[in-house]
Amino acid sequence: MSVKYVPVQWNGFKYWYNLMLALGVGIYLFIFVEVAPGLLGHNPAITPQIHNARAFGSCAFFMLTVILMIGPLARLDRRFLPLLYNRRHFGVMTLFVALSHFFFILNWYFAFSGSDQYEALLFSNISYDQVLGFPFEIFGVFALLCLAVLATTSHDFWLSFLTPRIWKALHYLIYPAYIAVVAHITLGVGQDFQNMTFPYIAWTLAMVVAALHLAAALKRDDPESATGPWEAVCRAADIPEGRAKVARLSTGERVAVFRHKGLLSAISNACAHQNGPLGEGKIVAGCVTCPWHGFQYDVRTGRSPAPFTEKVPTYRLRVVKGMVEVEPEANPPGTPVDPVEG
Amino acid sequence: METAGAILSFAEIWAWIGLAVAAVFLTFGIDRIDENARGAYVFRALLLPAILLIWPLVLWRWFVLETGRDDWVKRHRPPRRSHRFAAYAFAALIPAIIVTGLAVKQTWPEAFEPVRLEAPE
Repeated sequence: MSVKYVPVQWNGFKYWYNLMLALGVGIYLFIFVEVAPGLLGHNPAITPQIHNARAFGSCAFFMLTVILMIGPLARLDRRFLPLLYNRRHFGVMTLFVALSHFFFILNWYFAFSGSDQYEALLFSNISYDQVLGFPFEIFGVFALLCLAVLATTSHDFWLSFLTPRIWKALHYLIYPAYIAVVAHITLGVGQDFQNMTFPYIAWTLAMVVAALHLAAALKRDDPESATGPWEAVCRAADIPEGRAKVARLSTGERVAVFRHKGLLSAISNACAHQNGPLGEGKIVAGCVTCPWHGFQYDVRTGRSPAPFTEKVPTYRLRVVKGMVEVEPEANPPGTPVDPVEG
Repeated sequence: METAGAILSFAEIWAWIGLAVAAVFLTFGIDRIDENARGAYVFRALLLPAILLIWPLVLWRWFVLETGRDDWVKRHRPPRRSHRFAAYAFAALIPAIIVTGLAVKQTWPEAFEPVRLEAPE
């Protein structure tokens, strides 16, 4: 949560997460380079540069695959939510691994001509009109640029400055990037004559990623929509203490109605940080706590507890014959609303 | 080759403009549009690479915030349906790419014996 920006808001969990991440990358690279060269068919006669390029390239692919699995897994099963918490550090590390792959390739395959290396990368193969022999490197360059945009805009400043809406739209680049990486592998190492171990593993994982995203997208989670000047959103008795019911209003917005100390309050379902689903969170220490990153809000005011400054819109509400009704026009973020009995 | 050179020149110019935008934004603009940035300086170095990449977006958002055109309602309206589109794109394109790659893949002839070619006359 904000107050003054710092480079990284470290805490114990992040230290452990990053330590495990770095350890995982190190162990993978060690196994790839030192333990299992025969398994992947590059035991004979390849240079250390190519060996390292393959190690970092495959590592970046696996990291990107895991990153893309976390979102739909958390959607399908809440037990995966803790993995979502620090996914940005995962992404930044993936960029560095992918960059290492890029420079190993650049400093080997494009290092020994009189041309500039970057020019050579772009013009050494221009068979864009055919599938077989297509310059698959360009898919890798595209994916690398996408990863660079994602990693460099990962600081919380960018969320606040661009707004979560634009930030998330920008970070949808992860999807074309992954498709480009699959094409990069398929038309590159996938056309190898000898060992196909890595391409088969990569293709299987890519299909799993596609299936997980499809399953998450098809999971019906659209709440019932409401209509009228005061819109009935749910039965008051259905809201348990410390939890919320989410409803979609006629304006298209989602409202989360929470019960705290027996009283009902309504706030926007979108967290001010990354638009996480506040209604799927619970009240911790008197504050609604976002299930994604733990941002907290006073349910009566929509404001983060001092000294934090985040705010979400609130809604006026009432209870009529046991039904919670909400006025669909949201109050400006941070507007106090008296809770109601119900 | 000329095209490759032109692309690289464009990238270079893009980065130089980004650097100029970053110099002004990080020393002057950021304090005007974000109260949390006032008095915080170390994190600004982390913003530089992104500004080099997306400086037109930075200029546009700076303009929107400076002129008071920011719409607070939009901040709380996440783009939900985009994920469904991305999921369908994954489901269609990933198998299509893999199948295409396997379809065009050449196989090495079995029991192929290498033949030493004669030197040209």
